[in-house]
Amino acid sequence: MSMTTLEGFGGRLALRVPYRAVLVSVGLTVAIIGVLTWSLMTGSYPLDGAQVWATLLGDAPSDTATTVVWEFRFPRTLVAFIVGAFLALSGAALQYVTRNPLADPSLVGVSQGAALVVVAVTILAPGMGYYMRPILAFGGSLVVAALILLASSSRRGGETLRFILMGIGVAALISSVTSALLTYGDIDRAMSALGWLAGSVHSVGWDEVRWLTVTAIFVVPAFMAAARPLSAIRFGEDVATGLGIRVRMARWGLIILAVALAATAVAAVGPLGFVGLVAPHLARRLAHSGVGMHLVLTGLTGALLVGLADFAGRAAFAPVQIPAGLVTAMIGVPVFVALILRTQARSQL
Amino acid sequence: MNATRTIFAATGFWLCLGGVVLAFLWHISVGAKAIPLGVVWQAITAPQDGVFDHVVVRDLRMPRAIFAISVGAALSVAGALMQGVTRNPLAEPGILGLMAGATFAVIIGIGWFGLAGSAYVPLFAAIGALIGAVLVWTIASAAPGGATPLTLILSGAAVGGFLYAIESAAILLNEDTFRNFRVWLSGSLTGRDMQTYLWALPWFIAGLIAALVIARQVTALAMGEETAAGLGVDTFRIKVIALGAVVVLTAAAVSVAGPLGFVGLVIPHVVRLFVGSDYRLIVPFSAIVGAGYVTVVDIAARVVLAPVEISTGIVTTMLGAPMFIWLVRAKL
Repeated sequence: MSMTTLEGFGGRLALRVPYRAVLVSVGLTVAIIGVLTWSLMTGSYPLDGAQVWATLLGDAPSDTATTVVWEFRFPRTLVAFIVGAFLALSGAALQYVTRNPLADPSLVGVSQGAALVVVAVTILAPGMGYYMRPILAFGGSLVVAALILLASSSRRGGETLRFILMGIGVAALISSVTSALLTYGDIDRAMSALGWLAGSVHSVGWDEVRWLTVTAIFVVPAFMAAARPLSAIRFGEDVATGLGIRVRMARWGLIILAVALAATAVAAVGPLGFVGLVAPHLARRLAHSGVGMHLVLTGLTGALLVGLADFAGRAAFAPVQIPAGLVTAMIGVPVFVALILRTQARSQL
Repeated sequence: MNATRTIFAATGFWLCLGGVVLAFLWHISVGAKAIPLGVVWQAITAPQDGVFDHVVVRDLRMPRAIFAISVGAALSVAGALMQGVTRNPLAEPGILGLMAGATFAVIIGIGWFGLAGSAYVPLFAAIGALIGAVLVWTIASAAPGGATPLTLILSGAAVGGFLYAIESAAILLNEDTFRNFRVWLSGSLTGRDMQTYLWALPWFIAGLIAALVIARQVTALAMGEETAAGLGVDTFRIKVIALGAVVVLTAAAVSVAGPLGFVGLVIPHVVRLFVGSDYRLIVPFSAIVGAGYVTVVDIAARVVLAPVEISTGIVTTMLGAPMFIWLVRAKL
């Protein structure tokens, strides 16, 4: 690992800079801006780069350009990025906390819990305020996460992988309840819920951008603060306790943060599978670093991943839009398989 | 088997069979217009032309009840064989990727090759089920520690998720072709015609007969590979036959009803509680109990939210997933 130590204040403050990680994160940011531009340009009303920038700066070449960019493409792309970052961070936190490389909000039922609540609200109480969605989704997925954790803990140990299996079972159960609700519901509402369930960024607007940003302001700093306990927990509970970390509290706090991120993301765009699984591993491949830097890289990777998935989904077979969730699943499963092939039955990160 | 046991088993078998017949008649009598059981019986044994209820029973309702019985029996026997041969309590056509493979192949076969003829459906389903099974097995065996229940389920989930994503995209791109398949995809006995069933029927029969024939050797295999070999069982041959039977049964069931999750998991476990570990009993009892189970589930699917109907597959999953969770807790 190439590191340089920056020292200041006569050696009292030292900052170690992993060069490669910094370079990679700059590269990812550039790529994200590239995808953003590209995505703003592409569609049934194509624009060139100059026109896009002019529109963003308030000097639009035409009214149509303003509408297309500001009302449709820009919020949608932003949501894709934010949601990607959220799911990726959520997956990373779950993987660290459960010390299980296969943890992912959609694999362990957290996404499905959020989805069930949102579908239930859409179908049974359509009048309920739109802003209640993320909060209710958070409640739903928290219940599911708690259920799975309680159910998978046992005296015999070996919880890590049991946790995943339990999640697969719980996810199946919850999905079936969701489907039953869909059959029961009014057809129009059911159709709208159905599109959302495939994990689609396609109908989002500035409302979603707003609530996602609010969540980000509260949760992301908490996450960065969690980097310290995370790096200790990674070596096992005993080590963490020895280092003076309140493991139990840190654990539950992190799980709640992870669930909050996943639930907000799901409430906005529906369950996007495998992002939380893939992004942390890709980030680790791109650059080795400490936990804090790894979280940054993970967030950026997730954003890029979902941004690209959404772009591919709407450009590949235009005018038909493939929901981003299907694209992320197609990318994610091969990674999942690769991980199964490398994971020992009792594994650690 | 000693004499007492044989008598017990025989009595139990006939009792269960009676239960299935009752469920079958009940299934037919329930509907938008309730038809008394007596009339149902009459319509089956001595049908009269021109009697409206008899026509409803024979043309509209009976096919569906027959589908339910066949599918339930096929999936349960497939699950029992898989659990026995792989000695994996969590084996089941749905969990281990066979259903996903079969569904995928049917969708792709119809969408890309335009094979609308119902004769091809079971064939495509069988090819898909085989590919799904082999894929899941290969991935799990390549994992460190080999094909344990754990790696098998994980790779089953991976293969299932992947195929599901591709088939959903295929459906989105070609919505007209698949309008009729929406319901089928969630596992449902509605809207399938007798033609499809008749094409699947030989597959059902072949699979069930194969399962009964190898039941004795499967009992030995369930005790362990070495034990089985020591008892003179050609383990490789039995495994191949079992795989064939499982694939054929799953394919037939999927072509008729789409993916009905967890039936093959639940029934063999319940049956084992009562009849023990002899597959000569487990296989026939699974067939009977599974037939009754899916029939009753299908009644529930139609009645609970009437006039709206829930897909049968949704109900089997709701009932089966808790069993899966319990098994993970108890056996792994």
